[in-house]
Order: sequence, then C-alpha cells, then structure tokens
Amino acid sequence: VRQYLARRLLLLVPVLMGVSIVVFMVLHLSPGDPAEIMLGSAATKEDLARLRLEMGLTEPLHVQYVRWMGHVLRGDLGRSLWMKRPVLGEVLERFKATLVLAGSALVLSTLGGMTLGVLSATRPDSILDRTSTVVSLFGASMPVFWLGIVLMVVFSLWLGWLPASGMWAPYGGGDFRDLVLHLVLPAVTLAAASLTIIARLTRSTMLEVLGQDYIRTARAKGLVEGRVVVRHGLKNALIPIVTVVGVQAGYLLGGAVLTETVFAWPGVGTLMVQGILARDFPLVQGCVLVVALGFVLVNLAVDLLYAYLDPRIRYD
Amino acid sequence: MRIRRVLVWPATILLALGLLMGSAAAQAPGTLVVGLVAEPVNLDPAQVTDANSNRVGRRVVETLVAFPDESTQLIPGLAESWVISKDGLQYTFTLRKGITFHDGTPLNAEAVKFSIMRQIDSNHPANKLGNYPFANYFFGNVRTVEALSEDRVALLLKEPRASFLAILTAPAASIVSPTAALKWGTDYANHPVGTGPFRFASWDRGQRVVLERNPNYWRGPVKLERVIFRPIVEDQARLTELLTGSLDLMVGVPADYVAQLEQNPKVSVLKQVGAHVWYLGMNSQKKPFDDKRVRQALNYAVNKEAIVRDVLKDTGTPSAGPVLPKTWAADPTLKPYPYDPARAKKLLAEAGFPNGFSTTMWVPESGSGMQSPVAMATVMQSNLKAVGVNATLQTMEWGAFLAKLRSREQDLFALSWMAGSEDPDMVMYPLLHSSQWTPNGPNRALYKNARFDMLLEQGRQTTDQAKRAQLYREAQRILAEDAPWVFTDHEIQTAALAKRVQGFKLHPSFDLRVETVSLK
Repeated sequence: VRQYLARRLLLLVPVLMGVSIVVFMVLHLSPGDPAEIMLGSAATKEDLARLRLEMGLTEPLHVQYVRWMGHVLRGDLGRSLWMKRPVLGEVLERFKATLVLAGSALVLSTLGGMTLGVLSATRPDSILDRTSTVVSLFGASMPVFWLGIVLMVVFSLWLGWLPASGMWAPYGGGDFRDLVLHLVLPAVTLAAASLTIIARLTRSTMLEVLGQDYIRTARAKGLVEGRVVVRHGLKNALIPIVTVVGVQAGYLLGGAVLTETVFAWPGVGTLMVQGILARDFPLVQGCVLVVALGFVLVNLAVDLLYAYLDPRIRYD
Repeated sequence: MRIRRVLVWPATILLALGLLMGSAAAQAPGTLVVGLVAEPVNLDPAQVTDANSNRVGRRVVETLVAFPDESTQLIPGLAESWVISKDGLQYTFTLRKGITFHDGTPLNAEAVKFSIMRQIDSNHPANKLGNYPFANYFFGNVRTVEALSEDRVALLLKEPRASFLAILTAPAASIVSPTAALKWGTDYANHPVGTGPFRFASWDRGQRVVLERNPNYWRGPVKLERVIFRPIVEDQARLTELLTGSLDLMVGVPADYVAQLEQNPKVSVLKQVGAHVWYLGMNSQKKPFDDKRVRQALNYAVNKEAIVRDVLKDTGTPSAGPVLPKTWAADPTLKPYPYDPARAKKLLAEAGFPNGFSTTMWVPESGSGMQSPVAMATVMQSNLKAVGVNATLQTMEWGAFLAKLRSREQDLFALSWMAGSEDPDMVMYPLLHSSQWTPNGPNRALYKNARFDMLLEQGRQTTDQAKRAQLYREAQRILAEDAPWVFTDHEIQTAALAKRVQGFKLHPSFDLRVETVSLK
C-alpha cells in the first residue's frame, strides 16, 4: 500500500502541471486583461502599455508561465494584481471557509442520502419511497442559485429563523452557534443535488443486494431485519456509494462557487469569481491550483477506502 | 424496528437547530452596516478603479478640494484656500493647520507632494509600490509639485486646464500619510492612512471591512462610532439582509425591486441622478454613420422614454447630451431627441437609405456604469428595426468588449462614462475631442468637428466660469446637431435604508458619504 500511495502521490505532479497549464492558457488567451479592466472605458493606448509592463504581462506567454511556475515550485503563488496581497495566504484563508461549507454539505448529503436510500429500498413503492423519488427528481434538477434563493426567502425573509448570508454575524457572534446558524442554508443548498444522487444510488444498489441469496440466508437464520439490512445489506452496497460520494466531494468543492456567491460565503469560490471578473491572473491560478489539489486528494482517499471496504481489492 | 433509530437523527438535528435559532440580529448602537455589491479590492484610492473600493477607501482619505454633501460644486477640502496664477499654470494651495493623519503624521506640503508625485515620478520611492492606473489621465498634465513651506504647496502644470480643481476632487488626488505609505509598502493598499472622518480598523477577507470614527477629525468627530461594509453580490441576499435588519443601508437596489421597496414600511428608498451618461456610439468615420442625417435618424428612432421607464424602472433620466442637466455648464435650451420614427424614416430616405440598412451593435454583458446593457440594447434593436435598420446584436464580456473597440471597426456600440464631477471638460473632452480618438483616448465614436474641438480647447484655457459655460453650451448644441451618439440616459442611483438611519444623502459623484449618518 505504501508503494501504491507513493506512486499516486507522484502522479499528482503531472496532474497539477496539466491543470496549471490549462488554467494559465485559458486565462491568458481569453480576451481582455487586467489592465483593460482597471482602466475601463477611460483606457488609452499608453496607459494600457504602461500598466501591462508594470504587471509583467508584456512578455511571451511561455516566459510568463515558466516564471510563474518557478515561483509556484518554491511555494510562492505570487501577488494579486489588484489586491497586492500574496496569493497563497489569501487563497488558504478562503479555502478554510470553503472546506467548512463543502465538508458540511458532504456529511449532510452522505448521511441524508444513505438514510433516505436505505429506507426507500426496504419499503419499495411505499409512500416514503415515492415521495423520496419525487423529491430526488426535484432536488437533482433544481439549479443551485434558485434553490438557495428560495430557501433564503423562506427561512430568512419570511420566517426569520436563519441569517441570509455571510459566515458570521457582522458584529457580536463569532461563536460556534453563530457559525452553525450561518451554515445551515448554504450547506443544505449545496448538499441538495448530491443528496438526491446518493439516495437514488443507495436505493437501487440496496434493492439489488437485498435480493441476493445471502440476505435470504441471513433472514432464514432469524436475524433481526435491521441487522440484515445494515450489516449484510448496506456494507456490501457501499462500494458504488463510496465511489459516488468521492465524485460528489469533488463536485461539492467546485459547486461551492455558486453557493458561496449566493450566500456571500467568504470562501475560495467568491474569491475566484471576483478574480475572474477582474482578470486577476495570479489569484485565479492560485485558487484553481488549490481546489484541484483538494480534488485529487479526495479521489486518492476514496481509492484507498475501497480496499478497506472490499478485501478483494489489492493495490499492487 | 431498528431502522426507526435512523429517524431519530434528523429529529435530533432539527431539535438542536430549533434551540440554536430564534434570535433576531441585534443592532449595535453607533454601528452602521452597509451592504456593497462587491468586495473592495484595494483601499488606496490612487490605485483604485472600482466603485466599491472607493466607497470604502474615500472615508479614510481626503482631497485638497472637495464637494459639499449634496452637489459637485467645488469647496475647500484639506486646502483652506488657493490661488491660480494668471497664466493658469500654477495652483498654490494653503493647507488647513493642525490636521494630522490617523497615524499622527502631520498634514503638510510634503505630504501633498508625496501623494501626487508617487504616481507620476517613476523615480519616486513609492512609485513602484502600486500601479496607479489613472496617474496619467488625471496628472499627466502636472509638471511637478513644490512644497513652498510647511503649509503652502504649488502644483505646476504643463498646460493651463480649467478643470484642474475638479480633477483634484478625484480619488486619485487623495492625500495619504507618507509615513504609512512607506512603512507598509505594497501592503499600504490594505492599510490606508489618511485624514478622513473614519480610520481603517480591520478587513476580514470576503466578509467585512471595518472603519472606526476618527476622534480627532478636523471638522469634528462624526456621530457614527463604526461602519461595517459587507460585500453581498447576490441581490436577493442583500435585500433580505436589509429587510431582516442585518443591514442598515444598501446601494445598488436592483431596478426591479425599487417599486416594491418603496411600498415597504421598514425601509426608505433614496434616488439621486449621478454624473454619468449612457450612450449608443456611432462610428462617425464609417459608412453609413458618416452621414449626419443617419445619426440623427437613429436618435429619433430610439424610444428613450420607454427604455428608462420599462427597462430601467425609472433608475435613469433621458439625456440630451453628455452634460448633466441643471449643472452650471448645461444648456437649458437643449431637449432630448423626441421619439419620432416617421421623422427617422424621412431622414434615412434623404440620406439615401429609403429601405434602411443592416449593421452591427456591440454590447457588453455588464460593466461599470452600464446599467442593463443587453436589455437596453435589445429595445434599441427593435426600435431601429421599426425604421428599417437591421442591427445584429453582438454581446461581449466587458474586457473583451473594450479590447474590440480599439479596432476602430465598430458600427454601433453601447457605452457609458462616469465623470465623477460636473465639469464638462471631464466628460466632453475625453469622449468627443478629436485628439482622443481610440486607441489613443476614449473617443470611440471617432467624432471630429473643428469648431467643437476649438470650443473645448478654449473651455480648458478659460478660468472664468461664466465664459466657460458659454463655450460649452455652444459645444453642446453642435453636438446635439451632429449626433455622434444616440444620447440615452443619465443614471439615477438608488439606495435603500433602514428606518433607523438618519441624515444620509446619495451624492451625484456616486460617492457613499456615510459620515453624515446618525442612528436613531
């Protein structure tokens, strides 16, 4: 396993390199640059030229890329063109907030999805099953920003139960309770789509597993139904579920961008949107690298989890 | 059944949530919470080009020349008086005495010199500490700055320019503490130090910028103890926060919500027309727009009133030209082109296009001061179609749009301008003088009229305001006749406030002067 881990970690390098090249090219080749946006409609040729020179944008792209990469390899993601702050500190600070949000959403969607899926599978065609099918369809097809706004209108504006935006109260607050209150709406919004996917998958896998011979055997042994479902059924249904949860974890990291924007969550998503609009190249590149790193690490963790769940899988 | 246990969890979570919830946002006395549409990026106004950074940054620093709270007329700011030399090349300012920056550094002539020279002198020790995007635009005409004594400073110009005092009200003309700027270096943008009514306290990224009252403010301390600026991009979130009492004031009320909010007893809505103009430019050097009659025809064809009423929901007022109505230079006889499609058709026929023609219209998806560009352009497109002009709409992202306009290949293009001041030189010269043709300047309609050019040049060199008004009024009449743009509207800014906010006014320069606020 150690060898496998080493190999996988080594593979991170080309993956992140690839990501860095793609991001760099997409950003630099898309029309409009930071000088253009800074000067806006007052731009003159001379001012554009001066600003581009000051910001190091006049050199050939490959030279810019190599210089940037050189800094990145030494752990320096450069300075934001607009904010003048070091990108690494800025991104890591914001990434913490994203992790809190995406992590809560992951826990919520996994626990909720599996619970719903198991319940539906044990009572196919019951009212609960049908309701969950309809809700799932709804949940999977609702755009994140729409759901977020609906929840906000209902729970903040009408009922006044939960704060509408931000991570902490503007003043006062600052304790765990404050955080949880602010977390509920964005976490539910972000989790909704994943939850329904996990629920549907759990249901179908469970139905299949529960039809197996060994389940009949377990029942025939006279085991309590709950034990049959959880020990014998769910554990064997877990592998596809874990795969999907892994994929969803990545999706949640990326999907946080929209949710964060709707709820003014101070994560890396809002930072990235701000950076893209301003063409803040080093900032966006830094954000993408950190998110990509998080994504591949989650995938690695999922692969390692397989072996634990299914002893037949070996890494050699 | 053991599965029932599973149900216990959601119930427990719900219960726990119920216990957590239920307290409405407590409002702190003396603290004003402001909702911005985007996060400030940089708090050094000399480096700033976006409205939200200025809304915060300008609370901390001040300028030599200032605006009163309700207009863009000029009044003394950090300078108590000034003398302009006969040739218009030397502006000598006498500073108010006894003012110190928030870090204790005295405000003196050296500080003024530092603040301007760091932007224009590439050998200045602070020149490389930031990018100063508008250094050349505002101060390209400044030869040098001389500290004559502790409290007297002279700004020497290369050419006379009557709008120079108005330029000195710009964010870039803010006077900063040299001690702080050198101490923080590149990071000064995150630690601004000025003389303003508020001093910088803290900045939690993505969450809030906090400013605190400056107890030694030279005009006397303001009533608020603290202002918290929160970036909330999503309109509905900002609105909800205001209506639930978590925000006291928000700018940029979406046009569609204005009417609804005006009915709401919890909040009040303020409106104020700003020094802004939105126009549909026509490339005067390109057929068929090189014919004045075609350009006039388009002005008659577009229904400005409908755009302002239906698209902008009265957050704009139809314009007759670039100059803000009711300011000293505006020509009161000038009226917006009326909506008259029959007249438009007649003019097109006279110009040789009885069956109209086809053309393209470039429109940015969004952009600073652009209001609702795509919706507005879509109405224009259908207005033009009604008189036989088939305009293909090409929408572009803001940065890409600006880049494309430098090609000089545009036919029709939607653009706007925020002058920040009522001085006509700050809008007419850059946008319409022939020396400013794109890509060398912002004249993207490639407009040229010799008489008009001369009037603008004289307007720059004349110091007497009454004489300048005469020159600019004639220029505006020429412009209305030549019609290089479809003159569209001046934006009406909106803000919504909680009832406890007293004494707030929107400023025509788009500045956000929360220093006038007191809380009930």
